[in-house]
Amino acid sequence: MNWEIIGKGTQFIAEEMGVALKRSALSPNIRERMDHSCAILDINGRIIAQAEHIPVHLGSFKIGSKNILNYMEKNNITLNENETIITNDPYISGTHLNDITFIAPVYYANKLICYVINKAHNVDVGGPVFGSLNPEAINLYQEGMVIPPVKVTDDIISIILSNFKDPDTASGDLNAQMAANRMGIKRIKEMIDKYGEKDLLEAWDELIKHSRELSIKRISEWPEGSYESLDYLEKGNDKIKIKLKLTVKGDKIIADFTGTDNEIDYPLNAVLGVTFSSVSFAIRSAMNYDIPTNDGFYSIIDLIAPYKSILNPESPHPVSGGNVETTQRVSDVTLKALSLFINEIPAGSSGTMMNIMLGGKNNNKYWSYYETIGGGNGARYNSNGESGIHSNMTNTLNTPVEIAEKEYPMFFTAYKLRQNSGGSGKYKGGNGIIRSFKVLNKTYISVIAERFIIRPYGIHGGNPGKTGSLYLVLSGKKKKMNSKFSSVLNENDEAIIETPGGGGYGKK
Amino acid sequence: MVLVSVDIGGTFTDIVSIENGEISYYKVPTTPKNPEIGVMLGMSKYLDGKKIDEFLHATTIATNSLLGQYGLELPKIALITTKGFKDVIEIGRQNRPELYNLNFHRPKILVPERFRYEVDERTDVSGDIIKDLNVEDLKGIVKNLEKNNIKSIGICFLHSYKNPENELKAKKFFEKYIKNISISYEISPEPREYERMSTTIVNAALAPVTSEYIRKLESGLKVFGTNDIRIMSNAGGLIFGDEASKRPVNIIESGPAAGVIAASEFAKIMNINNVIAFDMGGTTAKAGTILDGNFEITSEYEVGGSSHHGRLVKGSGYPVRFPFIDLSEVSAGGGTIIWKDEAGGLNIGPKSSGSDPGPVCYNKGGKYPTLTDSNLILGIINDKMSGSDFELRKDLSTKALEKLGNPYEIAEKAIKLAVLEMARGIRLVTVERGIDPENFTLFGFGGAGPQFVVRIAEELNMKKVIIPPGPGVFSALGLMYSDMRYEARKSYPEDLENDYRKLESKIKTKLRNPEFLKYADCRYVGQGSELTVPVTEINKNKIYKDFEEIHEKTFGFKLNKDIEIFTIKLFAIEKRNKPKIKSSESKKSSSYKRKVYIESKWLEINVYSRDSLVKDETIKGPCIIEENGSSTFIPQTWSARLGENDEIVVIK
Repeated sequence: MNWEIIGKGTQFIAEEMGVALKRSALSPNIRERMDHSCAILDINGRIIAQAEHIPVHLGSFKIGSKNILNYMEKNNITLNENETIITNDPYISGTHLNDITFIAPVYYANKLICYVINKAHNVDVGGPVFGSLNPEAINLYQEGMVIPPVKVTDDIISIILSNFKDPDTASGDLNAQMAANRMGIKRIKEMIDKYGEKDLLEAWDELIKHSRELSIKRISEWPEGSYESLDYLEKGNDKIKIKLKLTVKGDKIIADFTGTDNEIDYPLNAVLGVTFSSVSFAIRSAMNYDIPTNDGFYSIIDLIAPYKSILNPESPHPVSGGNVETTQRVSDVTLKALSLFINEIPAGSSGTMMNIMLGGKNNNKYWSYYETIGGGNGARYNSNGESGIHSNMTNTLNTPVEIAEKEYPMFFTAYKLRQNSGGSGKYKGGNGIIRSFKVLNKTYISVIAERFIIRPYGIHGGNPGKTGSLYLVLSGKKKKMNSKFSSVLNENDEAIIETPGGGGYGKK
Repeated sequence: MVLVSVDIGGTFTDIVSIENGEISYYKVPTTPKNPEIGVMLGMSKYLDGKKIDEFLHATTIATNSLLGQYGLELPKIALITTKGFKDVIEIGRQNRPELYNLNFHRPKILVPERFRYEVDERTDVSGDIIKDLNVEDLKGIVKNLEKNNIKSIGICFLHSYKNPENELKAKKFFEKYIKNISISYEISPEPREYERMSTTIVNAALAPVTSEYIRKLESGLKVFGTNDIRIMSNAGGLIFGDEASKRPVNIIESGPAAGVIAASEFAKIMNINNVIAFDMGGTTAKAGTILDGNFEITSEYEVGGSSHHGRLVKGSGYPVRFPFIDLSEVSAGGGTIIWKDEAGGLNIGPKSSGSDPGPVCYNKGGKYPTLTDSNLILGIINDKMSGSDFELRKDLSTKALEKLGNPYEIAEKAIKLAVLEMARGIRLVTVERGIDPENFTLFGFGGAGPQFVVRIAEELNMKKVIIPPGPGVFSALGLMYSDMRYEARKSYPEDLENDYRKLESKIKTKLRNPEFLKYADCRYVGQGSELTVPVTEINKNKIYKDFEEIHEKTFGFKLNKDIEIFTIKLFAIEKRNKPKIKSSESKKSSSYKRKVYIESKWLEINVYSRDSLVKDETIKGPCIIEENGSSTFIPQTWSARLGENDEIVVIK
């Protein structure tokens, strides 16, 4: 049987759904940052094929799809042909409120064959702040509107759009997502026409089996045993512990986060889907092999994250920062544990997305601007780390200086590598970035960053990279800031941002 | 009147000559390190004694030198830039090219840190000079450049697209000491500092190599009575040798552009409006769309970049902001390698055996079976390459495929995977542009294109395929049908009339009685990228209206937002007289039978020689049409006939 051909064809359908979504979406987040993912699920919620463009979505479907199907069963929701379900509840769909998920069934000759599902980052989902990511949130309700899994009707869409701050954009994005699912349904039906239902279902089983076999082959080369690692998030001068025991045993990898600190009233909590994403990102990268993304790969990972810990919080704890910062730390501890038995794992990378949010009023118009800044990449087993780059769970493009100066009241004073910020060693960690700018009139600044206290780790005797830092020059006086704050800049005040360097690899 | 066009590829240099409507094709081996040698040898052999009226050229010298292929080396270069910003060239846009590879590498940096020099100068966003350039500061730099024997430099200052004064001042100073100077205002006057800097640096790296190559070619051509070279640019028009020497970023995608031009010109002759041009060679397959007779132009390009399902992977190559014909790489070529993964699944690519060592059947040391090996043992291509004494070793191919299982089953499955992948690649890039490929005509050319193209059409539900004359040398032929074309641009225009006029006067001297084509790159305020709008009349409201229509066509919606004109572009075009080719004549088609493996069975099918095809006689698939340098496979349920312009028309 040609399972390879049907399997490839199914993967291409997931990709094509992504292209269709991107093409008709309105918000730059989806169109340019490709903050969206599409997948095809079997009737039990197993992922058959997935097209993901940013790592944080990898694996969140694994948790999210099962949750949605369970929720449907519990609440007696049956999806008929041409019906679709919408949800953004992070505690069900598995990331944060901005990620809205649509799931729709594929029927052929009145028989349920599979589901199509997609998730995309909508620019605003309500709540007190524009963009909904709220650094001050103490609960989920301050991060936007919660939509439980419900069938899409005009009334539902109307309630939703009445709560989002940019309803035009949102309406376009939601329509794009539904169109992507329709495209997926059409193509799957064409495949059944061509190959028949029986061959199709058998090929899907084979595809999942094949990915599982490839994954097991890779981990069978890893020495069995338990490997422990530890790292911290920062809240002011307090440290929040993330503790992992990673066990390689037969055809399984068990990631046990017992001992990790409790959930907090601060948006650094990461829901289970996000935690699973970060762990599976690290494991998949460590495998260093092109494995089709489906349940076969995910099935080798067992995640244990204690309930009510920061990695598996109870609703309604706030979660928006969990997506951007906690993910980096979870992938760090997982990579660190893997580095205990795989030489090719690099040292710690900058470990923060360095989220900078600016806004104010210019020429009588409100403006807001969000940027993330890359840092040093950890040194590798055979070369220095790359400098000034996004690592691990993010991979977005920066805004050019010439464009930012055109659109916002900003004047850049430097954008360069931060020399000698990478840790030394046999191979050096990559250098961080220095990005500094003055504002041309009164501007509000908020920052969510990490690695201001704890340096990105070196491995095998390599030295850690330098911590990040942020200075404000207020009326000529330079002031060192914490990793998370909100403040006001006046005309000609300057912000100087220095991102962390990567750790070194091996003794010099 | 003798016209000669030469297209240099990885393995072969294609030479086409047209004399009084008689067309001849030749293939000679490429001499990669000094490509002009192969050109001269081939021309001396086949055109001995003849005087040439026009010499048209497509070359890969720029890309090959940039990627360090065939032992071509780049010169040491330096960057001169604004204080505080010298590392922009290394930081790029901060993204990494591969998501799950922890040991990824950025493309090798063309200017190392020690050759990046900062100058204390600054222009602001409105073009006001906040800090003057002090020429005294440059004297120390010159000493350093001379000490390090640097022969080519790139100068890129912040906001120079708005006010180039400081860049021009620096250029004037360095001219006394350095031969090759590329300044960003003259190479790519558009905002976005990284892309402009990268374009300038790529130009600086290529200038010495390219100008030397063109100089040698020109002097070699004197024997043939001309030293006037016209080279295909990325944007699908010919430029003179001096422009290519000064701005080699012009000719990075020279060869592939010629293929699309060829398809679009042939489509015009045949009155076909909507075409997908599919060009498949040894290492890659590329697709370009022609909509309503026009090919699309894009400025987003990375040299040496990789692609994922036909889309460019940002950060995988060196960005070049210059007009390019919009081409998508849809993966596989004839040299694409077939392999089994650790769990026994069959895969194709992305690794390729390229042109050296090439497929196993070339017997040049290739170990891994390729798509070409598969088509050879399946009987789709013959083991004697027609028109040459080159023999393909079927026994070696079979042996290599046997390592993976039953060679015929493996080969057929691999071809199916390749067809699926290329079809999906084409589908994704057309869906991305809001086009449904079902209503398009597919043109198949390049050495391997005709073997696959009809099956790709089948997969895409397309109904019509054209195999043009000389598919193996079609790009070279396309050069003959091209016009001269020069470009100029300006970002953030203030007064459209006046700005277009200034651009016109800047380039009109380069051509005789040129016509002008105007474009405007527009976007909704706040968007991160622009769409190119053809400008038929200089009227802001009309441009805005056209932009909204294109936006709707491309993305499926309009916005209730302000529109801005980001960059205006102008092309000057000088039309050339196109050659007329005499049509072939044959009385009776001739064929023989060959065994071909189709859907797990050996069938005896007809193999026709293309020269023998009779106009309007329909032949039915499954069959094969062979000609010099390529072989077209017509599956069952498809039929073929020879059209009026010697093209093969294949219909479902």
